[in-house]
Amino acid sequence: MVKKVFKIPDMHCANCVMRLEGIEDDLQGILEIRGSYHRQTLEVSYDETLLSEEEIREAIAGLGYTAQ
Amino acid sequence: MDNVIVAAFVTGITTGGLSCMAVQGGLITTSLANRLEAGLQSAAKAGGKKKPAQARPGGAGLAQPILLFLAAKLAVYTLLGFLLGALGSVLSLSAVTRGILQAGIGIFMVGNALRMFNVHPIFRYFTFEPPARVTRYLRRKSKSADSPLTPLMLGALTVLIPCGVTQAMMALAVGSGSPWLGAVILFAFTLGASPVFFGLTYLATRLGALLEKNFTRVVALVLLVLGVLTFDTGLNLMGSPVSLSRIPQLVAEAFSPGQSLQTYTLPGQDNGIIQQDAAPQGGEVVEIKVTDTGYSPSRVRVPAGKTIKLNLTTNDTYSCARAFVIPALDLSALLPARGTKTLEIPPQKAGTRLQFACSMGMFSGVIIFQ
Repeated sequence: MVKKVFKIPDMHCANCVMRLEGIEDDLQGILEIRGSYHRQTLEVSYDETLLSEEEIREAIAGLGYTAQ
Repeated sequence: MDNVIVAAFVTGITTGGLSCMAVQGGLITTSLANRLEAGLQSAAKAGGKKKPAQARPGGAGLAQPILLFLAAKLAVYTLLGFLLGALGSVLSLSAVTRGILQAGIGIFMVGNALRMFNVHPIFRYFTFEPPARVTRYLRRKSKSADSPLTPLMLGALTVLIPCGVTQAMMALAVGSGSPWLGAVILFAFTLGASPVFFGLTYLATRLGALLEKNFTRVVALVLLVLGVLTFDTGLNLMGSPVSLSRIPQLVAEAFSPGQSLQTYTLPGQDNGIIQQDAAPQGGEVVEIKVTDTGYSPSRVRVPAGKTIKLNLTTNDTYSCARAFVIPALDLSALLPARGTKTLEIPPQKAGTRLQFACSMGMFSGVIIFQ
């Protein structure tokens, strides 16, 4: 299991968190996901045999956000 | 009392709609998007001959779930207002406590406005983040079933994710100290927010983030103004000698130091009297007219060391000016819409200034003992 914290500077409301956390429904291999509007972060724990960091970044970008 | 309801409605229609849309709109738009998608898929399966009603963006098929969502939201928030008002009545808040609460609400609103202006990351903490478990549950609900019950349920569940402005109104409902008034406050606010919410949700599929970006600054500005006004009414209710609405009073005193009865005009003002001081008539009896727009005179000088009879006269007065409070004495009275009510004020030392206001802190005045 890999745990990665993405900094998302363009989160502008609490709804963005809900939208971003929704990637767990689309990507296979996410074990835990937790977003924070206060800290502008998205913390993802995932199974690296099923999913890559790049795929997560692409899913975030697909929602219109930038992952740093 | 009536003014606080109007204020809640105005807050709803000006800032509530967009603010709520930003936090809760995702639920209904996701649900609608899924309905559209499901509709299109079933149309494709059926050979594409007939398009289901819910698959037409902008048609009645979209309006109905949004209306159901808003109706459920209105009902649940009204109930919440009732419960919060009941909580406030149990706590039996004094005018000063309510003033502190209101000033806090003002700070909260200003903080949210500064957050929307992106002034500093610290202001993000003015927004409450619902627990991940709650957002996950809501997200999955909105993505699942397309039954008419879904928007109803989602509307009701928005109570779990109130936006910043809604949270301020919830505190106002507690401050009202009455279940019915609390219910009416949240009803008026949610009703006011509904047309904007409806319009934005209706357009969301096409405009989405673009619309939000363009309006956020306008909303933040309105919120900032309303926040400052709310903070100011809180100060009045706490009996603070300094507040924005007391500025005319303070200016008037600077122009008429130490005189007991005086009518004066400010230089450059051709509309005559702008404020009048009153001397006690018949010794220790003071007459104050209570109108929809405040108290006249709003500044009264009385002799120190004597009991003062304050005759408050209303004449078809329906604003919150009827709910009269003197925070320092914890004295309050609800005046009739028409008639005179007499309040007795115990003797005070020379130099004492008793601030008075309406129960919402919107109108104010001062009794000066000398």
